[in-house]
Amino acid sequence: MGINKILFVIFIVIIVNVDARPVSWTQGSTLMAYSNNLKNSIYYHFSPTYKFSLGLEMVEDKIFDNSYAYFRFTRLLNRKNMQNSQRNLYFRSGVSSKQWASYFFGLQGDWETRRLFAGFNVNLIESGNRDYFNQSYQVGIAPYLGEFGDLHTWIMVKTKRNSVADEWSTFPVIRLFKGDVMLELGYNGETSWDTHLMYRF
Amino acid sequence: MKILLLTIIFCSTQVFSHSKENTSHTPHAHSADAKLVDGKLENLDSDRFDSFVSDLKGHKVAVVSVKGMVCDFCARGIQKTFNKRDEIRKVDVDLDKGKVLLAFTSSATIDFEEIKKTIQSNGQTAVDMEIINI
Repeated sequence: MGINKILFVIFIVIIVNVDARPVSWTQGSTLMAYSNNLKNSIYYHFSPTYKFSLGLEMVEDKIFDNSYAYFRFTRLLNRKNMQNSQRNLYFRSGVSSKQWASYFFGLQGDWETRRLFAGFNVNLIESGNRDYFNQSYQVGIAPYLGEFGDLHTWIMVKTKRNSVADEWSTFPVIRLFKGDVMLELGYNGETSWDTHLMYRF
Repeated sequence: MKILLLTIIFCSTQVFSHSKENTSHTPHAHSADAKLVDGKLENLDSDRFDSFVSDLKGHKVAVVSVKGMVCDFCARGIQKTFNKRDEIRKVDVDLDKGKVLLAFTSSATIDFEEIKKTIQSNGQTAVDMEIINI
């Protein structure tokens, strides 16, 4: 893989990560912090209604040693509430403050019960003259069923691939949440820890 | 690939705009001495309910059946929104049974349509309600 290709792979991995809850309740806000070996970011989004959110993500790029922002818009396309499950489909998008020709858009979906979770995320990223396709899939199981207010735990496996590297990467993820706070930790042998912290208010 | 993705998004919007969530049930009103005597409430956790109403004598409790309430993190908004209302004294969420318990002051008017809207604004679907006088 040439140096340019490597840089592009890094670029698209920096841009896109899956958000556990991309839209909040009506008038709800969410603050997220994301950290891995490539970037640190803080992402705030506000949901005027439960159907869409507007947000700003500040990114500190560890590879290129610079910072920029992403203006983001997420729309709930469909939600199906069943007695014991919920299914969601979202449209996600973002435009970079650094370069208006750089943007991404895609679909994110999930289905979950109190015990099981399955989700996917596909994105198309445009950067300058190049297009990239990024996809990830995640499945999980709750080892126990907690009550409202308890500490909840999910054990998950995530696999992802992008069209530039053309390689699948699969790694375990643990998701913990209690009250308004969620912490997600993923460990990939090649890229070390992925940490995702979320607070909803 | 871009065209394919846009097509999928467009089709999703069109197809799902016709799908309706199930919300058309009628609420029922009941009286009880803080015990579950109505058959329709048999799916309620009686210990949880008794604990909830232990300090609510003279109040009214709305037991709301909610679909899609599968996750604690997702149900937080329900509790936060109802807690802001003056006429509501207490809120509890039973994830296992899919119920939201709302304790109203005795003089409060309980409007199922209003409750349904509030729960909808959190992203879940209220399908039924029972009112119990404590």
